[in-house]
Amino acid sequence: MTKTNVTRRQMLKTAAAASLATTGPWWLVRGSHGARAKKLVFWQLPNFTPLADQLQKEQVYEFAKSAGLKESEVEYATVANEGFAEKLAAALEAGNPPDVARLYESNVQFYAAQGHLLDVTDLVDKMRREPKGIFDSSLTAVRYNGRAYGVPLAVNPWPVHARIDLLEQHKLDYPKTWDEFIETCRKIQSPPRLFGFGMCLGLVEDTTDNVMNLLWCYGGKMVEADNKTVVMNSPENAAGVKVIEAMFRTHKIIPQGTIGWDNSGNNKAYQSRQAAFVMNPTSIYAYLNQSDPDLQKRTGLFPVPAGPKGTVNLIDTWAFGAFKQNPYPELARGLISHFMQPANYDKIIQSTGGRWVPVYKRLFDSPFWKSKPEFKHFVGMAETGMPVSYAGSPTPAAGEVLNTHVIPKMIQRVLVDNWEPPRALEECHRRIEEVYARNLKL
Amino acid sequence: MPRTTSGTRRLFRWIGNGLLLVMLVWTLVPFYWMIATSLKADREIYGFEATLVPHHPTLAAYVRLFQQTPFLKYVRNSTIIAVSTTAVSLVFGCLGAYALARLRFRGRRLIARGLVFTYLVPPSLLFIPLFAMMSALSLADTHQGLILAYLGFTVPFCTWLLMGYFRSVPLELEEAALVDGCTRLGALIRVVLPMSLPALAVVAFFSFTQAWNEFLYANVFVNSVEVRTITTGLTMFIIEDVFFWGPMMGAAFLSALPPLVVYLIFQRWVVKGLTLGAVKG
Amino acid sequence: MTSGVDPALLYPDERAVATPVLRARRRLSLTRRHEARLAYALLLPVLLVILGLVAYPFVSAVYLSLQNKPVGARGHFVGLANYVELFRDEVFFQTVRNTIVYTTVGVSLKFVLGLTMALILDQKRRFNNVFRMLLFIPWAVPVVIAALNWRWIFDDLSGFLNNFLITVGLTRDIISWLADPRLAMGCVIAVVVWQGTPFYTMTFLAGLQAIPHELYEAAEIDGASVVRQFVHITVPRLRTIFLTTVMLSTIWTATNLQFVLILTRGGPANRTEIFPHLAYVTALGARRLGMGAAVSLAFFPLLVILIILLTRRMLSQTDD
Repeated sequence: MTKTNVTRRQMLKTAAAASLATTGPWWLVRGSHGARAKKLVFWQLPNFTPLADQLQKEQVYEFAKSAGLKESEVEYATVANEGFAEKLAAALEAGNPPDVARLYESNVQFYAAQGHLLDVTDLVDKMRREPKGIFDSSLTAVRYNGRAYGVPLAVNPWPVHARIDLLEQHKLDYPKTWDEFIETCRKIQSPPRLFGFGMCLGLVEDTTDNVMNLLWCYGGKMVEADNKTVVMNSPENAAGVKVIEAMFRTHKIIPQGTIGWDNSGNNKAYQSRQAAFVMNPTSIYAYLNQSDPDLQKRTGLFPVPAGPKGTVNLIDTWAFGAFKQNPYPELARGLISHFMQPANYDKIIQSTGGRWVPVYKRLFDSPFWKSKPEFKHFVGMAETGMPVSYAGSPTPAAGEVLNTHVIPKMIQRVLVDNWEPPRALEECHRRIEEVYARNLKL
Repeated sequence: MPRTTSGTRRLFRWIGNGLLLVMLVWTLVPFYWMIATSLKADREIYGFEATLVPHHPTLAAYVRLFQQTPFLKYVRNSTIIAVSTTAVSLVFGCLGAYALARLRFRGRRLIARGLVFTYLVPPSLLFIPLFAMMSALSLADTHQGLILAYLGFTVPFCTWLLMGYFRSVPLELEEAALVDGCTRLGALIRVVLPMSLPALAVVAFFSFTQAWNEFLYANVFVNSVEVRTITTGLTMFIIEDVFFWGPMMGAAFLSALPPLVVYLIFQRWVVKGLTLGAVKG
Repeated sequence: MTSGVDPALLYPDERAVATPVLRARRRLSLTRRHEARLAYALLLPVLLVILGLVAYPFVSAVYLSLQNKPVGARGHFVGLANYVELFRDEVFFQTVRNTIVYTTVGVSLKFVLGLTMALILDQKRRFNNVFRMLLFIPWAVPVVIAALNWRWIFDDLSGFLNNFLITVGLTRDIISWLADPRLAMGCVIAVVVWQGTPFYTMTFLAGLQAIPHELYEAAEIDGASVVRQFVHITVPRLRTIFLTTVMLSTIWTATNLQFVLILTRGGPANRTEIFPHLAYVTALGARRLGMGAAVSLAFFPLLVILIILLTRRMLSQTDD
């Protein structure tokens, strides 16, 4: 009997030790805060300049103070771009999304369709009433069924970043057409040190953007304006794909490695002076502003060259969205309004050094935008730019096509598997049709 | 005869030295590249001007790391989380492994096998339900929440590995201890554990590095600087589609140091475990 | 009393013959009655962890795979429709093949390199401790960072590898490491091996050090060659550790997302598409959680069979 008792006592002792060891960490870090005692949660993606981050943070607390919130009731979280999709998905599934977040257009569309976002049409209307108004091209990205579910925070054009010093050196002008573009690239490139065109062809979003922009110039498109009829397997698209194939294989102005690039690939190629032309948002320009002013001086930002069907520039849109779960929707809307007050807004936009093109037209009158010749095409691009799903508008289906790299896979079928363009386009067409059909059912 | 053996031994020693050299190069070159990158200015990082050795080494990346980011806070958080995870996993693992290795009961095989199956479920499938659970328990965005989540992948491993080692401890030694009046748990603590020090060192090191290096859960669960760990802090140097390689690699290099220190500490145990085992065995 | 106990332990008059040995034996038998209870008590924390943190989410994932469920929306039960859609997709079978190649080659290389390293580090050598530490570095670098760093090394234009090869004159052209369909999988595996080998080295080394030296000394006296010693002493003693390590590493390799996600994203043209990545793109790119779960679970059977085979040998080997 006594012996069993010993065992039991020993067991108790061990259990105590185990539970102490287990709960130890709890007690040690008990002070750290719990989940959601906050009234206003803002998710911020890191900006290019620390100054912009600083300003944004100040504005959040400024607003909180004016709304009578204590600092402890505000959560300002900087959230990395890497892994953002996981984070937002988990937060929504747990019913605990942020109140306000900076969202890419495909996220605005998708979560608007799910009914997760607050209707902010009134805020957008207020912005449109500002003198000169805003660029309407940015509104398609936030509109869902005629209402706005996000406030466009900037227009994001995709100009061609071009090495004007190299053009000057070879006494060439910036090419007007794709044919000229190819010729120009062949003249100025000297592989492997310098390639003509750093076109992104990897399995990433940039590839869809680069490829579609070129296809448009040849009369191609992804979907009709009804956002239902997929037209990927068109002869126009095939013609455009053939041009890409020729640039890659015959003219060799695109480095072979672009098949493996990620979104940063064309940035790196340009920043390292190994590509004369790249199509990318102005993140490259903003980077140079901060880290390589010498190269920035040699850089021009131009519209995309024209094809047989003219030219059009791609734009996409970032927006502030407010999630509905928030018990204090007025705070969320107030914060967005505060950010978008032209004076506050202008400060942040300018602090990013050319990264964001302001959504308010009249801000272009300021000396900042007048001072540099490379900005002169921005207004035109912002006026006429098209979303990647052109002729369709941004929709949840278009977002899925972008996120699952359907179009990059098509181009890799041609360039890696040696499929004929029509065959690759046929496969791509089927996949996109499936995506659109499924999303329509939702 | 012995002479030929020692001859072969010498031969093997030299082959060993050669292979060791090859492996050191293979292992260290990428690590070197990381350090070299952290000491370069951007002009040297990119392109054909990219130099194999930094020509103008600069500590700018580290200055940025310490002055403009809460790097030390990240280090603190990672330490709290990794150390706690290790401690808890060791306790849980030892108790569970002893039961599985030495005690007879229904469901033993099932549980032992179940341990392995837990790893089949990829974290990329688990993080959503787990996060929902943590939110419900108000543990999202806390150190505790992450520690708890990490136990999910350290405890099964610790238990499983220790189970294997405990079994290799001669039963007679334990019986002798029981003869001397030890209880089961006394035997575990006084006989089995000291003989399993190498295994304990391995699982401790494993738990520590797993918790230290984890990214997915840390990213999903944590919003605030007060809880953010190094791995997720590092990705703040990826802004949109631009990588700030210098500070990112600097931070990566620094973040690799603590696991190495921990390894150094535990490595002494491995040797001690060896000598203890030799004395007792 | 307890069945299945050695009759000698149930000696009728315990007190009369209470020599120390018998008393201990008797205690063994007595505790054996409580053995199960003790075992469950000791296992309780482990079981809680497994049930709460793995089993529950797992079951919910299985249920999820039977639904059409977009992120943030309510799911609809669709039976096996997700699996049917998956099995109709030719990319799925390419993914199966890729995953098997990637896992088998990766694990084999890690095993060979890990064992070699453990044996070498087990030799007596000056500064061995330093070498041990240096060889563990890859394990100490977070996977995300290791993958990013390697991506940077493989970079076609600015990468260390091309830079080095061109500088020493081994090649004049740029090699597109991650874009060339013949090289991409090899590159991914190389990174997996680089990062994972230390785990093998570490566990094998710990196993080697637990082998009593006397065994080798005795074999030496008997004139056994080094190779014979390795085959007859080292390998049998390490067998359990071999199995455990290979099994765990197989699972980790096959379910690791980060390397492919950062290095190739399944490219070029699906050449490196593996299950965890396909599941990731489906669940978070397309935001189809149900389908993503189905992709993850579709690879289960293969791994389950593998584990059953390995664990059966392991458990039966030590049960007697």
